[in-house]
Amino acid sequence: MQKSGWSEFEIGAMLRSFEGATNNIAITHQEDRPYSKSNSFTASVADWRIVKPVFNKEYCIDCQFCWIYCPDISIISRDKKMIGIDMDHCKGCGICVEVCPTNPKSLLMFPEQQDEEAALSEWPAKEKKEN
Amino acid sequence: MADTMELRDIEVWDGNMAAAQALRQVQVDVVAAYPITPSTPVVENYANFLANGYIDGEFVMVESEHAAMSGCIGASAAGGRVATATSAQGYALMVETLYQASGMRLPIILNVINRALASPLNVNGDHSDMYLGRDSGWIQFDAYNPQQAYDLNFVAFKVAEDHDVRLPVMVHQDGFMTSHTAQGVKTLSDEVAFNFVGEFQPMNDMLDLDHPVTHGVQTEEDWHFEHKARQHNDLMTKVFPKIQAAFDAYEALTGRKYNIVECYDMDDAEVAVVCMGTSVETAVEVAKEQRAKGIKAGVVGIRVIRPWPFEQIAQAFQGCKAIAALDRSSPNGAPGMLYNELAGTLYNAATRAVLTGYVYGLGGRDLTKSLLNQIYADLVANAAAGKPTTALQQLIGVRGPKLEFL
Amino acid sequence: MLEIRWHSRAGQGAVTGAKGLADVVSTTGKEVQAFAFYGSAKRGAAMTAYNRVDDKPILNHEKYMNPDYVLVIDPALVYTTDVTMNDKPETVYIITTHMSTDELVASQPKLAGKNVHTVDCIKIAQETIGKAIPNTPMLGALMKVSGMYEMDFFKESMVRVLKKLPKKIIDANMEAIQRAYDEVK
Repeated sequence: MQKSGWSEFEIGAMLRSFEGATNNIAITHQEDRPYSKSNSFTASVADWRIVKPVFNKEYCIDCQFCWIYCPDISIISRDKKMIGIDMDHCKGCGICVEVCPTNPKSLLMFPEQQDEEAALSEWPAKEKKEN
Repeated sequence: MADTMELRDIEVWDGNMAAAQALRQVQVDVVAAYPITPSTPVVENYANFLANGYIDGEFVMVESEHAAMSGCIGASAAGGRVATATSAQGYALMVETLYQASGMRLPIILNVINRALASPLNVNGDHSDMYLGRDSGWIQFDAYNPQQAYDLNFVAFKVAEDHDVRLPVMVHQDGFMTSHTAQGVKTLSDEVAFNFVGEFQPMNDMLDLDHPVTHGVQTEEDWHFEHKARQHNDLMTKVFPKIQAAFDAYEALTGRKYNIVECYDMDDAEVAVVCMGTSVETAVEVAKEQRAKGIKAGVVGIRVIRPWPFEQIAQAFQGCKAIAALDRSSPNGAPGMLYNELAGTLYNAATRAVLTGYVYGLGGRDLTKSLLNQIYADLVANAAAGKPTTALQQLIGVRGPKLEFL
Repeated sequence: MLEIRWHSRAGQGAVTGAKGLADVVSTTGKEVQAFAFYGSAKRGAAMTAYNRVDDKPILNHEKYMNPDYVLVIDPALVYTTDVTMNDKPETVYIITTHMSTDELVASQPKLAGKNVHTVDCIKIAQETIGKAIPNTPMLGALMKVSGMYEMDFFKESMVRVLKKLPKKIIDANMEAIQRAYDEVK
């Protein structure tokens, strides 16, 4: 598509979201939607990241704060349960970590190259409240 | 369901009413408008018809002409049949959105009631606003009288909404000289008029929820040129056959024949004037009087200004010895638009006619038959000499010492 | 080609009069044109309106005119504007005034030797319509002077032209047309 000539696209400054017809799109999960090549969902911004969020399910209370605050719709939530991160579209901004209210946090930023198991193994302990 | 309006076979309408009746008969869904003299009655009459139940539609009152065309763009992208009207300063304020409308390939119909551009402020008719939009990517039709303002609106919708075209169309008429001049207009019944244009066929409309689309996207150097090239290609190759087909269909329906370039007495003409608007008809009358005096005079009227009818123009002047291009807009430091377009068109054509230009009628200044007779006298002299006997550009009908350049 | 020039003030109905006349004439199979020269476009400002009538399509759009008829519907315009401009020897004048034709010509020497008719359209309009809207009575006077149409046909046509107005106003206009027809000298 990047190299298409002038005669190879539809007229108008118009882009389709999906290939072909859709219905009930609002209740279709993103991974099941027939996104078109011109839809930003089909482009990855994973290589923008220097640091990445890692999700630790053990401490998550499914408050959905991260889902609400994520600017790139990259928190994957199903039936109000946080299940993971869309690493194709996460830019590593860290907002999810900032807003996470648990103690210790259920989301923490690690270097992009860090192994996930290793990250989980060095998760900090619960902080004691200072009186 | 909108009520039907019973019309007489011939109604005495001015150009504004003629255009408004056409908008009613094709049942325009949305008019977003900011009224300005002399175009006001077009949208005022639409609002009146709407309020009285003769249209199923929406009139959107907005705060400027920029917003008017923006509203039209939104409604058209949403999937409605859309039209509005403007003049002069309003048109100037609309220019930014004119390019948006054409680039988005939205089939909006804009009735432009031609009027002079300030300063000094002036409400009367000249072609300054028409010329301002000629690179905007719209199709531009020009009506010379109220009947044509009526007829060309139907043709405009038919061409614009064709899925192979999908470009907005302006229907121009001269402010006051057509817009406020009542003449007999042969009407179509509501049913016949609507059926000529037919039900609106949406394309990539935002309200098609099964096919979501994003309209008005951004492109930088990676894509912009391809989009503009596509639009230019379609204007150059696809539009004229569709206009001709629509003219043919309209003639079959009504008996009224329109041509991309209107030629009057041109078959054997040796001297010809080229102009637009009401001037064409006055010139036709003067040419007939010249013919009675033995001068082979003709007139060429530009019916389609954009896309520019290059081939048809080149055809029109075969055998012609002297041509006058009449521009009703101050070129402000250049030859006039018609002069330049004709020069560009004829430079490589078979004709070697002498081409001279005239600037006339600014701010509604009368183009009298007497002035046209003087132009023909110049042309006869040019034809005899085989070269210009006057300056290439003359201002006519202006008070003070003679103004001529080039 | 029959050409008519109206002299009026903006708001007195010259445009409506010219368009109404065009409408009636059009129904008889003739080609018509009605337009106006709005000037400063302020209510009360002097303005001119025009009619052309012909058997063949009217192509001429110039505002310049050598009128066959000059209709003056405001009495002061005879003095403050040149109602005789571009006239020809056979031009017929119908002028609204409270004066007799002789008194009017004496007061405006430019009219001397011309074919001048007078009628007090302002008074007629005030007494019938209740407002100084002298356009329809002028049409009644024109019918008499020109012999253009029979009165019954003309009034019937004008009822159609004015059909959007209340019946009372239409009736008053018909009375005004008839009175001007009867009173023009």
